[in-house]
Amino acid sequence: MTDMLTIYVLIPLLPLVAAVVIGLFGRKLPRAAAHWMTIAGVAVSFLLSCFVLKDVLAGHTFNGAVYTWMTSGGTVFEIGFLIDALSALMMVVVTFVSLMVHIYTIGYMHDDPGYSRFFSYISLFTFSMLMLVMSNNFMQLFFGWEAVGLVSYLLIGFWFKRPTAIYANLKAFLVNRVGDFGFLLGIGMVLYTMGSLDYQAVFSIAPQFADATVELIPGHPWQLMTVICLLLFVGAMGKSAQVPLHVWLPDSMEGPTPISALIHAATMVTAGIFMVARMSPLYELSTTALSVVMVIGAVTALFMGFLGIVQNDIKRVVAYSTLSQLGYMTVALGASAYSVAIFHLMTHAFFKALLFLAAGSVIIGMHHDQDIRNMGELKKYMPVTWITALIGSLALIGTPFLSGFYSKDSIIEAVALSNIPGSGFAHLAVLAGVFVTAFYSFRMYFLVFHGKARWREARHEHGQAAQDAHHHGLGPHDEPHESPWVVTFPLVMLAIPSVVIGYLTIQPMLFGDFFKGAIVVNAEAHPAMHELAHHFHTVFHSPAGMALHAVASLPFWLAACGVGLAWFFYLKRPNIPETLKQRFAVIYAILENKYGFDTFNERFFAAGVRWVGDRLWRHGDVQIIDGTLVNGTARLIGCFAAVIRHLQSGRIYHYAFAMIIGVFVLLTWFMKV
Amino acid sequence: MHPIVNDIYTALPEIFVLGMAMAILLIDLFLTERTRFLTYALSQFTLLGAAMITVATHTPGVGYAFSGMFVDDPLADVLKLMSYLATSVVLVYSRSYLAERGMFRGEFFVLTLFALLGMMVMISGRNLLTLYMGLELLSLCLYSLVALDRDNPRATEAAMKYFVLGALASGMLLYGMSMLYGITGNLDINQIGSALVKGAPDRAVLILGLVFVVAGLAFKLGAVPFQMWVPDVYHGAPTAMTLLVGSAPKFAAFALVMRLLVQALQGVVHDWQGMLILMAVLSIALGNIIAIAQTNLKRMLAYSTISHIGFLLFGIMSGTLNGFIASMFYVSVYVLMTLGGFGMILLLSRRGFEAENLDDFKGLAARHPWYAFLMLLLMFSMAGVPPTIGFYAKFAVLQAALQVGLVKLVVFAVLMAVVGAFYYLRVVKLMYFDEPQHDAPVRAQPDMTMVLTVNGLAVLLLGLMPQRLMELCAYAILHSIQ
Amino acid sequence: MMANFQDYVFYAFAAILLGAGLRVITARNPVHAALYLVLAFFTAAGIWLLLEAEFLAIALVLVYVGAVMVLFLFVVMMLDINLDKLREGFWEALPVALPVAVLMALEMALVLGSRHFGPERVATPKPHPADYSNTAELGRQLYTDYVYPFELAAVILLVAIVAAIALTLRRRKDTKYIDPAQQVKVKRSDRLKIVHMPAEKPTPPTAEGDRT
Repeated sequence: MTDMLTIYVLIPLLPLVAAVVIGLFGRKLPRAAAHWMTIAGVAVSFLLSCFVLKDVLAGHTFNGAVYTWMTSGGTVFEIGFLIDALSALMMVVVTFVSLMVHIYTIGYMHDDPGYSRFFSYISLFTFSMLMLVMSNNFMQLFFGWEAVGLVSYLLIGFWFKRPTAIYANLKAFLVNRVGDFGFLLGIGMVLYTMGSLDYQAVFSIAPQFADATVELIPGHPWQLMTVICLLLFVGAMGKSAQVPLHVWLPDSMEGPTPISALIHAATMVTAGIFMVARMSPLYELSTTALSVVMVIGAVTALFMGFLGIVQNDIKRVVAYSTLSQLGYMTVALGASAYSVAIFHLMTHAFFKALLFLAAGSVIIGMHHDQDIRNMGELKKYMPVTWITALIGSLALIGTPFLSGFYSKDSIIEAVALSNIPGSGFAHLAVLAGVFVTAFYSFRMYFLVFHGKARWREARHEHGQAAQDAHHHGLGPHDEPHESPWVVTFPLVMLAIPSVVIGYLTIQPMLFGDFFKGAIVVNAEAHPAMHELAHHFHTVFHSPAGMALHAVASLPFWLAACGVGLAWFFYLKRPNIPETLKQRFAVIYAILENKYGFDTFNERFFAAGVRWVGDRLWRHGDVQIIDGTLVNGTARLIGCFAAVIRHLQSGRIYHYAFAMIIGVFVLLTWFMKV
Repeated sequence: MHPIVNDIYTALPEIFVLGMAMAILLIDLFLTERTRFLTYALSQFTLLGAAMITVATHTPGVGYAFSGMFVDDPLADVLKLMSYLATSVVLVYSRSYLAERGMFRGEFFVLTLFALLGMMVMISGRNLLTLYMGLELLSLCLYSLVALDRDNPRATEAAMKYFVLGALASGMLLYGMSMLYGITGNLDINQIGSALVKGAPDRAVLILGLVFVVAGLAFKLGAVPFQMWVPDVYHGAPTAMTLLVGSAPKFAAFALVMRLLVQALQGVVHDWQGMLILMAVLSIALGNIIAIAQTNLKRMLAYSTISHIGFLLFGIMSGTLNGFIASMFYVSVYVLMTLGGFGMILLLSRRGFEAENLDDFKGLAARHPWYAFLMLLLMFSMAGVPPTIGFYAKFAVLQAALQVGLVKLVVFAVLMAVVGAFYYLRVVKLMYFDEPQHDAPVRAQPDMTMVLTVNGLAVLLLGLMPQRLMELCAYAILHSIQ
Repeated sequence: MMANFQDYVFYAFAAILLGAGLRVITARNPVHAALYLVLAFFTAAGIWLLLEAEFLAIALVLVYVGAVMVLFLFVVMMLDINLDKLREGFWEALPVALPVAVLMALEMALVLGSRHFGPERVATPKPHPADYSNTAELGRQLYTDYVYPFELAAVILLVAIVAAIALTLRRRKDTKYIDPAQQVKVKRSDRLKIVHMPAEKPTPPTAEGDRT
């Protein structure tokens, strides 16, 4: 057992050691050392994770403390690991995607001055994410949660010379703080009511609190579990970018593409999903919370998909697609189909990382021009990227036999079978989402890889304005070219699981004993998962059967329609979208403005610190960060600060007088003659 | 043991510091600019010697001296040791700063040692008289240290304000003490305590005295509404003096609070609890909000001090032993972070240039990644980001408050801590994401770099292993306060 | 009858003390203010005499009135202090300050009134016999029970001296004073420096050099 413990400790520690060494000494070491060290660390972590997963499948789970941080008032805070099917699976996914991204980065960041810094950050991120998923208590979960947030903040602002990147990272940070605040309150509430932060202790005691109520506002008792679950979910909404806390994710695309793939598609943003799945024993006690989760997820899944249709930045299309897919996972959580959510999380990690990296490859090929209106016909020039991107898109829209099909179809089925309030709406939303997904995915695909080579015209405009190193586009005589092998190799490596992983794993993961003990479902109250399994065993019999049956199902045809419509609009009759855009200008404007979330935030949260962040963006100028940040904050605290500043006049009389008034107030307040 | 021998033995650290201070005062007369280093070395030796004596004479019991006016309990010993350490670090950090500004003179060291003596007297005071005299000794030294750069109008103005307001606060404290004497007929802390526990003779007078005592204490701590001097003095004083004013004296102020409020006035705990709540809430709110608007790092840290004091009061106002332990923990963590923060300003300053504006920290990560990393740790700790020690300190005091049911206040404090995180992290942002404004190299003495490194890393390492420090605080409080 | 007489004396002194104290802060002329302070000290000394604190009373008159205040008066007369500037904020602060002051005085009066501090609440101290030496007793106390605060007071005075000198002593930069010790210690090498130069300049003389 101690041998296994060493392995558990090594898995997160190796990336950390690599990160620290490269972070501190990266400038002094040769450039190649940065990638060799970190890749070696992550690769070994990946292999060990695979070993652990195999060990877990053999029935060896682990739950225990590794290091006791402190004991305070009877509460023990410790670093501990809970290794079961759920965490082992996450470890493999995280380390695998991270490894691929590490390799990819060698090519993508080749000329960047912050080469070693970048490797240090992504290794640090890998460590934090592993600590998060391996945790066996809320404290460590929160630590990992904050740490991944911090690294993401650092990475979004990686190109800190771009004002938009600085704005985006500030925005991500502030929005996440809102979520974290709820999350922290939730954790505090768990500690306060159940007296422990250890998962096992909390989960075993939680059923006793099923009917407990709490009066946050005197006279209005609320179910305790609902309050806790909703507070925790607020944290998940921040991290997993659910409406209305989703606003930071599209902007986070300012960061380099490898981290968009690793952090903002495959791993960190799914932390919220993972957390809710991990907390399934708590969520099962509150149907109300599940309903809220489901409805929020459904809204995100559908409405963020719409936004993907009008985006022209290749990374933003993928970003909105990520939002929409996160919505799907959340819906699955709401339907008590936690295993399906994790299943989709896994398949999504592969094909979305693939799509992001493919987008990155396209961006390299196009010399950092990200506008899909300037692309086209790239399949001739970038064959590997083309094929892998096609595989990714097909997986994403749920083509039978591909991984995305199994997970997404299972979600739709689970929602259809769910009976909690809101499931009807959610079912409609996820069905419509299938069509939307197919449409925007293939809109992007067709615009990028097929049709006319529009870059031939566009590059003349770009030719002269090539001053910004990151935004120059193709020169007048450049042709797009295929990326080096370090870029295409991860694409291929990710394409393989994108195709086969669903087929191979659906049976054990969803309908077998894989998650036994890790995920708890109250089959009587929430029978969706149970019925889903029943349906699978009686009707489909096998994954292949499921795929064959799909041809006769609604989602398949919705997806097909989406693809067909995209083909018609963007290849066959490219003038139609323009006409529609003019005909339905209002709808287009709404989508273009992302439903006004940003505008709303700007206006509504003008009284909060967020206001400062938006202020920054509106002026979009580094100057603002130096000058107006201070003044803006001063205006934010408005008359309050004005009064206080007035008192802080520098005149000794005033100070003495303030002291006397202080004594006077204390005297009057507390005097009992 | 003969009473005099006992007196001398018990107060040996104080006597040693006093003797050395006077010796240094004389020796320094015979030194030239080039040999002035000896004064510095002797001062450090004094601190080391005092620490060794304190450790050697330490017992877990409580000893009295000078007809019960002096007490030597574990609380006193631990706080004294912390004060020596803080003072020693202050001397290391300020050495080159002072030398570059012509203040590397014997007076600085003598006054610093006398200030330390004042702190020690306060820490060991068991009589209203000695507590007050220790306070005056300390304050007088600090006033004159702030004004030591006498041709600097900003510093002299700060000293003037500090002096006048400090005198007013001393007057208030003295007035309150006279009320306590008036109703109990006693100056002895323990006897006042037992007189009040038996039943307050005269509640109205007691409260009147209490209000003035609390006002005097609040001034020393820098709690709202007695905080006005803090920003001006922190900002105006030469940074080395700010470092001194902001660090070690907080231990003495904490001891003063323990002696006066807890040991003498525990009979009226519910009354001072209310006052402290009021001041704690105001301090946290005002400190954190106004700090956002600051462009000067020293001023920002001054407002941050005010909010830290608010948190410190959270532990004390809980009125439980747990709360006092948490507060003591907080004050030691606070001093550690303050030393680091101002130490960083001193490090980046050089002749004719004070690195005290936020803009001076722009792009530090590109110029000096290691210093930027240390500053990042310090800022994180001040903001209370885990796993730094600052998080645990905040956690401990809030937990103590939670245990006595002050839930709403705790929620408020957490909210304000989130607001506070904003301006600390702004410093991090400036260091890591902004362009440097100048490219002047930092020439630091190796000893300073080393101590600063230890200081910065301690914030992180103690955060990972807070148990030791916590046990030390618990030991000091539990063996000294019944 | 005697007790009554003492009461009258006390009230007379107290009234003068209060009046003088008030004038110290309201007098326009600083010399007048200082003189009122002298008066206040005198009456305070009188009250202390009534309390049988003879040593303190005499010390107050000798030290404060005799030495400190005279010194202070010199300073006030020698310096040209612009009082109007000092009083600048006085009238504008008054509308706020006055109500607060009045309210606070009221609150304190409520507490400090005879209800809590009346003569009936405090036992009348027993008068000491005629041969009782206040001074000797004070000395005994000071050097036994109160030796610690006494020493502390000495340290505070020392600090005050050090601080005052540190803040005010200025060494003149243009002084012609020469330290004899330094003069005696001087060595040849400090004054005279022998520079070795080649006997002949390697470069040919320029046109300008020729002319000179």
